[in-house]
Amino acid sequence: MKTMQQGWLSNWLVKHEVVHRSLGFDHRGIETLQIKAGDWDSIAVILYVYGYNYLRSQCAYDVAPGGSLASVYHLTRIQYSIDNPEEVCIKVFAQKDNPRIPSVFWIWRSADFQERESYDMVGISYDNHPRLKRILMPESWIGWPLRKDYITPNFYEIQDAH
Amino acid sequence: MATAAASSFLSPAAKFALQSRCPSAKTAPRSVRFPPVRAQQEVKEEEPAATVPPLQEEQATAAAAAAKGPAQSLPRQPLAESKNMGREYGSQWLSCTTRHVRIYAAYIDPETNAFDQTQTDKLTLMLDPTEEFVWTDETCQMVYNEFQDLVDHYEGAPLSEYTLRLIGSDLEHYIRKLLYDGEIKYNMRSRVLNFSMGKPRVKFNSSQMPDVK
Repeated sequence: MKTMQQGWLSNWLVKHEVVHRSLGFDHRGIETLQIKAGDWDSIAVILYVYGYNYLRSQCAYDVAPGGSLASVYHLTRIQYSIDNPEEVCIKVFAQKDNPRIPSVFWIWRSADFQERESYDMVGISYDNHPRLKRILMPESWIGWPLRKDYITPNFYEIQDAH
Repeated sequence: MATAAASSFLSPAAKFALQSRCPSAKTAPRSVRFPPVRAQQEVKEEEPAATVPPLQEEQATAAAAAAKGPAQSLPRQPLAESKNMGREYGSQWLSCTTRHVRIYAAYIDPETNAFDQTQTDKLTLMLDPTEEFVWTDETCQMVYNEFQDLVDHYEGAPLSEYTLRLIGSDLEHYIRKLLYDGEIKYNMRSRVLNFSMGKPRVKFNSSQMPDVK
């Protein structure tokens, strides 16, 4: 049986009995955790209070056709004299039939456009986001383009070269 | 989609007045009136769209206009300037524009080319304003019939740019099919001759091409 290494955050969460799953470390040594959408609100506040004041990036992807959608948050701490800031990566999974995840806009402002892009491309709707609407596609677009089961309609502008 | 609930829908054809125009090389503009079938259709041949006033690219607000009333047409408001696209004027700027097909959810006065955005239950089709192809009455009429069929097909869909783009793309594919079938041909005296639907080929028959609709 292969045991995942657990970083300090995972141990801390275990100590405080928060249900989560540690996804190990990625190739740069950044601890990755999976957190449930229901807990994500409180965990985000906890992380901010601990010191992660910079949401480096937020992205979302379609895990598998027929699977779930993932919303990924990279958090780090920005401070004046820190050379190697601590980083953590959180993944929140959502079901495709009703993908709703609490928004972290009110904690980290940089989530504003990034969550709008995740909504636009994959369809995850973020609760409590003040202006969640399409940002890359035209507003009247139907469908979530970056889902793995998305089929582009047969628009004339998309044509093969003659 | 947040706007889906409040959008106005493409009403059935009975409420539509389709207006199509086709520029032609003939200098004398003729106006042909067709008996109203289910929708009224006016066919006029006019100068190319160089005289169309510059389109104003203002986007309507996200929430659509309220649902349209039943079967009467909206009253004409000739004094409403086309700048008034806000929802309080009851209008939306919806269009689909490609090289040969321009569809507007507005009423365009054929003589003055004035836009009347308040008539959003009408779709106006401007066919090939740059005159890349040579159009005759019959081919124009084929395109208008196809436009009418497409609008009937899309009846009930939300009235948004996405739907208009689908209609416009289907119409462009139809025009390309006409070209491959030999019904229309390129206008060799067009101002921009770039064969946008494929270079002319010898002995070309669309039945031999597997991917033409």
